[in-house]
Formats: sequence, structure tokens, C-alpha cells
Amino acid sequence: MRPHATTSLWLALQLLSATMASPLAAATLVVTTRGDTTHATVSIDTILFRDPQGQFDAARFDTLTANALRLLFDDAASKGLPTAPLINRALEGAARRVSGARILSVVRAHAVALAGAKSALGDGSTVAELDAGADALRAGIDAKTLFVVRSTRPAGAAVTALVVLTDVVNRGVPISTARDAVITIARIPRSDDALLGLQSTVAKNAQRGPGMALEALNRYVRGTVSGAVSPSTPATSDRKPVRPPDS
Amino acid sequence: MTSHGSSGPNEPHDIDPFTVTDDVALVARMRASYDSLPSPDAAQIARCTTAVLSEAMHAPARRLGGSRRPRWWWGAAAAAALVVSVSTVAIRRGRTTAEMPGGVQPVGATTERGDTTRFDLTLPSTAREVALVGDFNGWDERATPMVRRPNDGAWSAAVPLPPGRHMYAFVVDGKKWLVDPLAPQVLDKGYGPANAVVVDGP
Repeated sequence: MRPHATTSLWLALQLLSATMASPLAAATLVVTTRGDTTHATVSIDTILFRDPQGQFDAARFDTLTANALRLLFDDAASKGLPTAPLINRALEGAARRVSGARILSVVRAHAVALAGAKSALGDGSTVAELDAGADALRAGIDAKTLFVVRSTRPAGAAVTALVVLTDVVNRGVPISTARDAVITIARIPRSDDALLGLQSTVAKNAQRGPGMALEALNRYVRGTVSGAVSPSTPATSDRKPVRPPDS
Repeated sequence: MTSHGSSGPNEPHDIDPFTVTDDVALVARMRASYDSLPSPDAAQIARCTTAVLSEAMHAPARRLGGSRRPRWWWGAAAAAALVVSVSTVAIRRGRTTAEMPGGVQPVGATTERGDTTRFDLTLPSTAREVALVGDFNGWDERATPMVRRPNDGAWSAAVPLPPGRHMYAFVVDGKKWLVDPLAPQVLDKGYGPANAVVVDGP
């Protein structure tokens, strides 16, 4: 090997080791600290990685995953995206004990969806709206539908509509039907409870089959529009298990 | 075939496999030969089908380990193995997300009281410990243990939540993740489902 090639290789290895060693040492310190305390842990990495919208506890990940996540968060922040939902997804993956590769895949997919949600919902949307919009996009709902649902509500008040839309679609209701139902109810002032009532009705009847869910949805929307179902129906109530129909 | 002398009107002809050494040429000639044939009638199709099925279904079983065992046996075994494995995966997935043993589902509820949101979960099983995890506690299963109410046996926890959307799930006995099947859900293909609750602003 020629001398200058050897020097280049040595320099490259030094750079690589310096990059790897720093977070590794920090993670080791964090682990030691966590062992001494219970929940009041302040990790070194959390101090080093200051994020205005959330805290990233790198000690819950292996070094390579933590570094890759940092890059993803930095990239998202540089694009004006909120990093708190991404950090939340990463922590959820660590809690579920899934692999680092899968965590990175989920966080990356959610970052892409957040960008799409921001484009569809507008810059004035709240973090909760963007997060809910990203979940809606990942559920297969198109950006135009997000925009239409968003336009039915004042700024910052579309979270419930987006959450209900995503849930109803996930339970097998066609997107166009779910969109029309959510928009119809969302246009009624102070109808968050009615939207959650729609979700509850669909969830209960979806266990009996997609056809039952669709029929219940249409019935609920007709009742809400006609006034038979009050928009202020309690959003939370004791739910009973749904017994499958007798065959 | 010409070499066997008993060629009928619907059988390929002019091909002698012993004189054709090039596979491509053989295939091309066989295709051309078959293309030139008239369409078989229903009786011929029935005769061929009967012959093939009788050969396949009623072939005498060779001794165990023989190299020429009937193929339908392997197909049936593979199909049975596939059905068993798919059923096992489906059952396991169902239990890790919502259902408990016995097919009974957990029942959950969320109630807002001022700045605090109370989470209730009724489990049809005898769980030793249940924890509430979510974005409000960093998904830390040690952060918010749920307390079992003595009167109805439901597990309960109250946490202060700021306005907005919050994701959560329940962890039973430190290993089994559950979601309320009737509450709004976020289905993440990468992880699994989680519940979502929206806390109203002031």
C-alpha cells in the first residue's frame, strides 16, 4: 500500500472512531445514571440534544440507532417539521422493544407523512393536527381529503375530526363515505363530542361486520343532522363489550 | 409421433426427439406442431383429465422414503402446514393487540376531569399489574402504574394531560400490550395499534 493511501485510511479510521466514541460514552454515562435513580433521570444526551418540542432520551436506543435518529430529527427540524411526534414514535418503538431498524423505518415514514400533512393542512396547523394528519395519510387517506376536513374547522380545532376520520377508515368504512360523514358533522359548531360518538358507533358495529358499521354510520349522521342525536352527546362513557350476533 | 406409428389426427407429428439436440429448436418445433393442431373436443379433454387424475390420485403408495411418492400427498401436507401456521400467527397477533384468552375483549374508558384525564380498563383476566404508557410519560411502563379498584376490579390511573392529541396503550404484566378496541386507534404498521385521546383546550 502506498504511503499516502495508508495515511488516508488512518485518518478515515480516526474520524470514524471519534464519531462513534462520543455518543457511546454518553450512553454509558446515562445507563449508569439510570441505574441509580428511578424516574428522575436526567440523561447526558438529553442535555446535549436540546429540542424545543420534546426530549430525546438516547439511552433507550443503541448507539447507531440513536445517532441515526438524531440525524432524522435534525433533518425534520431543518424542514420546519415538529420533532416531538417523531421522538414520541421512537420512544414508543423502544418501549415495544422492536429493533432499531424498524424504529428508524417507522420514524422515517412518519417524518415523510408529517411533511405531507403540513403541506395539506397548512403552516398554521398545530402539532397535534399535523400528527393526526400524518397518521391519516399513513392510513391511506389522501391529502385533498385532509384539506377538506381541515377547512371545516377553525385553526387548531381539527384534531378530533382527523382522529375520527382515521379511525373510521381503519375500521373498514370507505374513505369517501367516512370523509362525507366527518365533514357533515364537523361543520356543526362544537361537535367534537358528536364526532367521537360517530367513532364509537362505528367501532361497536364494525365488530359485527363492515356492512353493519356502514349502516350505523349513515344512521348516526342522519340522526345528527336531523337533531335526533345531540352534538353534545357525552364523548366518554362506560363502554360495554360488544357481543357478536348470534348465528 | 411418427416414431411410434399410431399417431392420431390430434397428436403432434414430425418431431423425433432423438434427432433434435437443440432445446430451443425442439421447443419451437413442438410449439409449431401443437399450434397446427385442431382444438380438442370435449370427449378428448375428459379422457385426458380422467387419465391424469386416476394416475395422480390412485397411484400406489411407495415405501416410506421412496423417491417416487405420489405428489398429491406432499401438496396436502404443505397445505395443512400452511393452514396451521397462518392460524397460529393470526391467533397470536389477536391476543397481543386486543383480545385476552377466551376471546373476551378488554373494556376501556377515558374521562376528563379538569386538567386530569382518567383512564379505566376492565380486564376479563387476572392480571397482576397493569401500566399505562403513552406519549405523556415517554412510553415508560414504570412511570404510570394503574391501580385496581376494589369495588369493580377495574384498573384506573389519572394523569394530567395538556390539550391536544395523546397516544396511549396498556401493558399487562410487563409484557402484553393492549389497546381499548372501541376507543380511537392509531394503526401503525411498523409497531402495532395504539389508542388516541383528544384533550379539549380550556
